[in-house]
Amino acid sequence: MESEDDMELMMDDSNDDDEFFGGGGDDDDDDLDDVIMDYDGFIDHDSDDSDDLSSSHSHHQHHHRSQNYTILSEADIQQLQQENITKISMVLSIPRDAASILLRHYNWSVSKVNDEWFADEENVRKAVGLLENPIPLPAAKELTCGICFETYPCDRMSAAACGHPFCVTCWQGYISTAINDGPGCLMLRCPDPSCGAAVCQDMVNKLASEDDKERYNRYFLRSFVENNRKTKWCPAPDCDHAVDFIIGGGNYDVTCHCSYSFCWNCAEEAHRPVDCGTVATWILKNTAESENMNWILANSKPCPKCKRPIEKNQGCMHITCTPPCKFEFCWLCLGSWTEHGEKTGGFYACNRYEVAKQEGLFDETEKRREMAKNSLERYTHYYERWATNQSSRQRALENLHQMETVHLEKLSDKQCQPESQLKFIIEAWLQIVECRRVLKWTYAYGYYLPEHERAKKQFFEYLQGEAESGLERLHQCAEKEFQGYLNAGGPSKDFNEFRTKLAGLTSVTKNYFENLVQALEYGLSDVDSQGTGSRAGSSKTLGRGNSKGKSNRGKGTASRSNSSRNIDDLGHWSCEYCTFANARSVAVCQMCQQRR
Amino acid sequence: MASQSQAILLLQKQLKDLCKNPVDGFSAGLLDEENLFEWSVTIIGPPDTLYEGGFFNAIMSFPQNYPNSPPTVRFTSEMWHPNVYSDGKVCISILHPPGDDPNGYELASERWSPVHTVESIVLSIISMLSSPNDESPANVEAAKEWRDQRDNFKKKALLDSMLGVSGIFRRNKEVECSSLQVSMDNR
Repeated sequence: MESEDDMELMMDDSNDDDEFFGGGGDDDDDDLDDVIMDYDGFIDHDSDDSDDLSSSHSHHQHHHRSQNYTILSEADIQQLQQENITKISMVLSIPRDAASILLRHYNWSVSKVNDEWFADEENVRKAVGLLENPIPLPAAKELTCGICFETYPCDRMSAAACGHPFCVTCWQGYISTAINDGPGCLMLRCPDPSCGAAVCQDMVNKLASEDDKERYNRYFLRSFVENNRKTKWCPAPDCDHAVDFIIGGGNYDVTCHCSYSFCWNCAEEAHRPVDCGTVATWILKNTAESENMNWILANSKPCPKCKRPIEKNQGCMHITCTPPCKFEFCWLCLGSWTEHGEKTGGFYACNRYEVAKQEGLFDETEKRREMAKNSLERYTHYYERWATNQSSRQRALENLHQMETVHLEKLSDKQCQPESQLKFIIEAWLQIVECRRVLKWTYAYGYYLPEHERAKKQFFEYLQGEAESGLERLHQCAEKEFQGYLNAGGPSKDFNEFRTKLAGLTSVTKNYFENLVQALEYGLSDVDSQGTGSRAGSSKTLGRGNSKGKSNRGKGTASRSNSSRNIDDLGHWSCEYCTFANARSVAVCQMCQQRR
Repeated sequence: MASQSQAILLLQKQLKDLCKNPVDGFSAGLLDEENLFEWSVTIIGPPDTLYEGGFFNAIMSFPQNYPNSPPTVRFTSEMWHPNVYSDGKVCISILHPPGDDPNGYELASERWSPVHTVESIVLSIISMLSSPNDESPANVEAAKEWRDQRDNFKKKALLDSMLGVSGIFRRNKEVECSSLQVSMDNR
């Protein structure tokens, strides 16, 4: 119980949302207006019941203790970019074009530009190609282009700030080639290799074709997101929002306006409470060939002659490998079938195998096969539950959508309630969707929880079990009980009770899951990992866990800890920690490396 | 089309200039009189280098959008050099497309720029012959030899020059050893 109180205390900090909006960093003073509006929308539910997308977005924000990111639309990005340029242009007293070149060079970091500039202006100017005093075109009636060597009147010539004259046609070719070459065109320099003066956007606008200009502007905008350490595109397909993230502020989960939730750090889907590294390992494991290998290892034996894996799904022990090998052997001992007969104890009782087993002489491959089978079963257990929660979540999302588009209106009619008063149902469904997500990832978490940290594992499974049943209650109420009110003949008397119950369940479940996420993120640090129970608090919690949810497991553990019973008839001893059956001859568990 | 006519005009102009005012150290002309985009260049091995006295033939192929994109240069004479691929293709930074090198190895100012001409390119190649860049070699074997077994490298380069002088442009493997002997005896 103590641990839960701790968690509640942690929870109380969560109301400090304003901290972010008050002091969001001097870079971004102006861009936060729209977020504040969304935020208001979420406090005042009645104000935005028309727009599903934005309302669901504001609800999503609900899940974050203090929002440390901003979702930017294309217009927002443009505005932010222009504001940064204005800022630099004003502070350094340089033209906007020069300011944008500087910002691009320093990856759109206003502070970096300021620092570098005021530390060594001359060097910065040289590095980015900004001349302090622009040089006009040579004062002559006619000039020779440095590229095509033709002579033209002055009005057919153009130059960057360095005054190196090139004809308009050559400039156009030069700029167009650079733009077609990619985002490098944003750093375009004077064609004279010894010069290096920057070619500014103004010049591009004057000389490039409409298509090229558009492409240039596209690169310019993209650069603001892609070269900026604080921003990333939303990875959802067809979404063109970007996320501006305040680094160092809490967790990485962000939810875009398109309602896709992802991890800002690794760009996978949102995965709290599991960390990015574990997620990467888990996803790799789910897709990797390694699982196939494990299956083959666990369920097949290689033909002793040609080594092709063979799965025996029925029949006798007399195996004939498929052509061209056609080797005949005994499935049990993998010996040649010609050596099997009356002398060796009959065709179907290959006693050599039994003898080997009794002597504890599992050969290496047999041991590996056994281990692979165990680990495959273990993996399958977690994977199935992970995947089931994933599809549950998908279904809940569909339900949520149906709720928003159809049912809410119907319910409003039936129960004579304004739709704005029915938001609690949407909130419940949003919570269900979020909980399914968390629950899903707890299975990846559980899979990687070290086997030997038994106390931790038991506590984790208890918490997970409670989470499952809590979510089940909420789901039941939002789905089944809801149906009753939806299909009622007229306004139900107890509708307000339903409202109170569902809203209550939503908030209780929300709290539980938030606590769970935090506890798991802290690595269940209040559990003594070896389970020796020096802290009264944790052992008490564990005791409760055993008596309540996992009583079978508890008993099993108790009997297993009796070491004399650990040895079975064949002389195996089962590991205290992972229950793996080890041969008598070994002192260290072959599965989890624990000592006997 | 506009860019192709620009390329033709510019190449014609350069051809005329080079005919009128030849530059020391190389000669250049069209491979085929009808085609302005394929040039044949003969470079004279620069004095005081391993390639001194040799004549090295190369073909310069210009793209349709020259001068916005660089030509490629390929030696048809045998050329044992760290910055020349085994098929004869020359690898120097000014022949690389413009823009900043993603690996940060070459500065934009060292890469292709439309101001480069046949003359400036060939002069760059001549300077490459006298000072190989073994930091980013096209021919790793040659670079290793240049670095670690300078004597062997010299032998092969001398052989290339010899072959260049005698007008045999594609080295015959069987000839290699015997003429190497000869060339070493002669010097």
